[in-house]
Amino acid sequence: MTALLDARGVTKHFRIGRGQTVHAVDDVSLTIAEREIVGLVGESGSGKSTFGKTLVGLYAKTAGEVYLEGERLPDRYKPADFQRHARRMQMIFQDPYSSLNPRMTVGEIIGEGVRLQPDSNRVATREQVDNWLERVGLERGHAARYPHELSGGQRQRVGIARALILKPKFVVCDEPISALDVSVQAQIVRLLGELKASMGLTMLFIAHDLSMVRYLSDRMAVMYLGSLVEIGPSEEVYATPLHPYTQMLVASNPEPDPRSERERATVPITGEIASPINVGRGCRFASRCPHVMDVCRSMTPELRTPADAAPSRRVACHLYLPSAQDPRSA
Amino acid sequence: MTAPPVLDVADLHVEFDTFGGIVKAVRGASFAVHAGKTLAIVGESGCGKSVSVQSIMGLIPMPPGRITRGTALLDGVDIIRQKIVNGQDVRGNRVGMIFQDPMSALNPTMRVGDQIAETLQVHRGYSKRKAFDRAVEVLTLANIPEAEKRARQYPFAFSGGMLQRAMIAIAIACEPAVLIADEPTTALDVTIQAQILDLLKALQARNGMAIVLITHDLGVVARMADEVAVMYAGEIVEKGSVDDVFYRAAHPYTLGLKAAMPSSTTSKAEGLRPIEGTPPDLFAPPTGCGYFARCPHAMRLCGPSHPFRFDVDPGHEALCWLHHPDAPGTAPELHRRGQA
Amino acid sequence: MNTVERFNPLDFEPVVIERQVHAISRPSLSYWQDAGRRLRSNWRASASLGIIVGLVAFAIAGPWVWRVDPAAQDIDQISQAPSLPSTALIVEPSVPWAGVTSEPIRAGQAVTELRLAEPATTQTVRLVWEPVLGATGYVIYRSIYDPAPDRALGLPLGDVLGAQRASYEDRLDLDPTRYWYSVVVLDASRAEQDAYTTLVVDVVRAVSPEEAVARGWASDTAAFGVGDQITLPFHPLGTDYLGRDMLARLAYGARVSLFIGVVAPLVFVLIGIVYGSIAGFVGGRVDQLLMRFAEFVIALPFLLFMILFKIAFGIGPGESGVFPMLVALVILDWPPTARLVRGQILQIRQEGYVSASQLLGAKTGYLVFRHMIPNTLGVILVTLTFAVPSAIFTEAFLSFIGMGVAPPTASWGSMANEGIRTMLPHPHELIFPAVFISIAVLAFNLLGDGLRDALDVRMRGRE
Repeated sequence: MTALLDARGVTKHFRIGRGQTVHAVDDVSLTIAEREIVGLVGESGSGKSTFGKTLVGLYAKTAGEVYLEGERLPDRYKPADFQRHARRMQMIFQDPYSSLNPRMTVGEIIGEGVRLQPDSNRVATREQVDNWLERVGLERGHAARYPHELSGGQRQRVGIARALILKPKFVVCDEPISALDVSVQAQIVRLLGELKASMGLTMLFIAHDLSMVRYLSDRMAVMYLGSLVEIGPSEEVYATPLHPYTQMLVASNPEPDPRSERERATVPITGEIASPINVGRGCRFASRCPHVMDVCRSMTPELRTPADAAPSRRVACHLYLPSAQDPRSA
Repeated sequence: MTAPPVLDVADLHVEFDTFGGIVKAVRGASFAVHAGKTLAIVGESGCGKSVSVQSIMGLIPMPPGRITRGTALLDGVDIIRQKIVNGQDVRGNRVGMIFQDPMSALNPTMRVGDQIAETLQVHRGYSKRKAFDRAVEVLTLANIPEAEKRARQYPFAFSGGMLQRAMIAIAIACEPAVLIADEPTTALDVTIQAQILDLLKALQARNGMAIVLITHDLGVVARMADEVAVMYAGEIVEKGSVDDVFYRAAHPYTLGLKAAMPSSTTSKAEGLRPIEGTPPDLFAPPTGCGYFARCPHAMRLCGPSHPFRFDVDPGHEALCWLHHPDAPGTAPELHRRGQA
Repeated sequence: MNTVERFNPLDFEPVVIERQVHAISRPSLSYWQDAGRRLRSNWRASASLGIIVGLVAFAIAGPWVWRVDPAAQDIDQISQAPSLPSTALIVEPSVPWAGVTSEPIRAGQAVTELRLAEPATTQTVRLVWEPVLGATGYVIYRSIYDPAPDRALGLPLGDVLGAQRASYEDRLDLDPTRYWYSVVVLDASRAEQDAYTTLVVDVVRAVSPEEAVARGWASDTAAFGVGDQITLPFHPLGTDYLGRDMLARLAYGARVSLFIGVVAPLVFVLIGIVYGSIAGFVGGRVDQLLMRFAEFVIALPFLLFMILFKIAFGIGPGESGVFPMLVALVILDWPPTARLVRGQILQIRQEGYVSASQLLGAKTGYLVFRHMIPNTLGVILVTLTFAVPSAIFTEAFLSFIGMGVAPPTASWGSMANEGIRTMLPHPHELIFPAVFISIAVLAFNLLGDGLRDALDVRMRGRE
């Protein structure tokens, strides 16, 4: 399958005065094939949201390149760059309460992308907006409403319509359901699935809800403290996690199934996420890892396929390197 | 269950005066929890689960709010009417409570150890010294490392998970009979959530306290609960053991919730089946079944007539007309009395 | 609750529910419409708005409707309290009076039969009395208070010497008011007796035809005749210590005070918006630089600069001094607004809808004007509404201490300054401008409060 999106070594650091650097994203490489949904999971501080925003250009990259359909995207975006790429790459934002301008009507919000394109006319825009309102499950009458009159789920639908009206090929969904009620989450996820199928979208789905990511995405990537620690087909990663952090994540994720919860072996969950400021070398998970070895503290492991594993699975862990002495089977 | 429940809430009705009228937030909720067991109250936002426990604890400002009916018996004493029992306030003492946002539950200008010690001084009459020592003990119990040092720190020095643990420490300092946890892990990362839930379970095993856990996450319910009460639009629509509710769901809303949440058994082929529509307006609550407008198995009488409480199995009840003997056998996935 | 209902099989038939429409029942209100509705329901703010509109109308239309020159002095009615129009009697020009003499008949300590020779007017008061045996002369006193309790006879007008003198004419600075005239006998040794005789005299304003024309109260002498009443210029709110009409001065003063009070804030808020937007939007070094400069401006002493500006602009006597005050206010008061706007912009920059718009290809100008500024307008409007009373008060204060507008230009503050001097005898000169200042400041403050309540609190979490 052709790679629609190819991110190589994307790095984003923030300088916060007095010589301190926040390593929000460090050397993350990821390829997404056409019509694929890749889920990106991680906890708070993992850098997944920052990665998503850096990918679409809202943050300037500190290092690394991003290729969309083979074309290299700018390192630092100017408004003209955004204009040019608006029809190819878009983002659905997290908080439906702050991602819509409270002073604009729903119709204006959805139609903004069309109006900003140089070749737009009012009548066609109006039609498109009405069309999209229905497509995301709202009514035509909603176009004259203001965001504060809509519920969270409805607002998120507006955000989706806004992002998709320009028919991009690639969409980054930055935690689109975290702020919503449980039953509304399912509605939105289903809507996203339908739109993805009907429009042939390629998606990067960023979330912290493992179950939802596992359900929705083809492949799952796990981030910890700015680096990618594991990637592979969602079902497999969830069923047989390789990286100790992924194992911890999966073990913590409660299943709505009492029997399996009772039978689940308790995995010791130790410590808390370290600070992303001035991260040194070595594996970032070393301070919490139950299988930590000496090499882990000095050398940063690379993302590679362990022996005896399918090539679609990659892990960044010294346990799986051929030189590992630990007698664990991959 | 042979022993009487530690906390027994019966027919609770809570309403609020607002600009738009009277909101009937809780319309007849009854639930009970036994020593050493966990009761989970599940529902979405607006269903009334938080309001129920907060009103019992007296945390709802009573001018706009009102408890119009109901009792909450703690060891035989109705704590809705009477917060002071045997000269001591029940709250913080016999009943502990933890909340969703630890940052706002802890006083940022007081050291953490002092906040725990305070509850001991008030309820147990400990001296300052003794209370502080015990506070350090409780922090250790709550799995906070270096408790001695941490007790002298202020809340801003604590991470999210540790703050939650500090709040738990305050709640259990007086070894309460009941711990009420109102969405304690909703704002936490999943690994921290697991730690907190394990901690609660360990404390329960140690103290024998009962836990009332409010949540919207079915996974958390499956992990923690012994008994489950499902709440919708201010009423408890299904109540039973955790296995009953999960494997023998007897109410369409419970079925709907399960179908809307992804689990390891959800296949991509079937897909998630969300519940269509939105919860009813509690300014004018429906006279019939609250779930009528969204129920795929609704019958004609469900709209006008409020359903009875039917016993599906021993200890398992549901508020749904489908359990009436004359009801048709539609909805095969709904568990009925007598089924295996 | 447990009524046993008999159900029939029909009751259990499945019902197909129409897919619930995401209906919204309430009518759609834009942010501004909703804010306007809330504002109208706040009676204090609505009343304040009404008052402000009234004041502005007064300032604009007042001088048109009440066409009186605020600098014209009406000498005849100096420091006059608010009253109905006064009238004056037309009389013949006064003819010199020789006085009256008569032989004293009786002896006594005090004169008797003290009376007026003719009706007392502001032209002249002519007293006559019966002389007393043994008196060498008489002293005549005049007071505006009753001398009775403690023999406070008042102003000694003069002596008349001679035993037969029996009259006195008073032409000294007569006002149309009540006087108490007292006559004291001078005995053989020219010493004053203790006893005295008092006459209460109510003086009527009178004027000769020529004087009437000279003062501009009538166009020519043929318009009236002796004995007519002629109406003096009407001063409904009275006059100040120089005889200038209070109402006219208040109206012109309103122009000055409100002009400075509204225009200065408008200008410096505008500057603040531009400055703050640039600082907030560009960020980084530029932001730091701009903010440091703003803080420097805040540190400048206001009064000192006012004085400097006055000197620099070289305001001479007779010039108004409005412009330098405006300039000073603008130059020194913009930083707080700039800071406020910058803070808002910084906050809004992080909002999702700004990123979303960027991603859709919006240019910087579009982002700032279409997204950021409209969302700060609420805050800006409130700031503006609170800046106005502050400016009005500052202008009043400056004029009060003499650093503001120069006479004869009226402003409420300068009027208050002048009114202080005659605060006790003629309080109206101070009360009127003070009341206007207070009402204006209060009204703007209440309006600002109302606006803030109406515009804030919105948008978030109306779930």
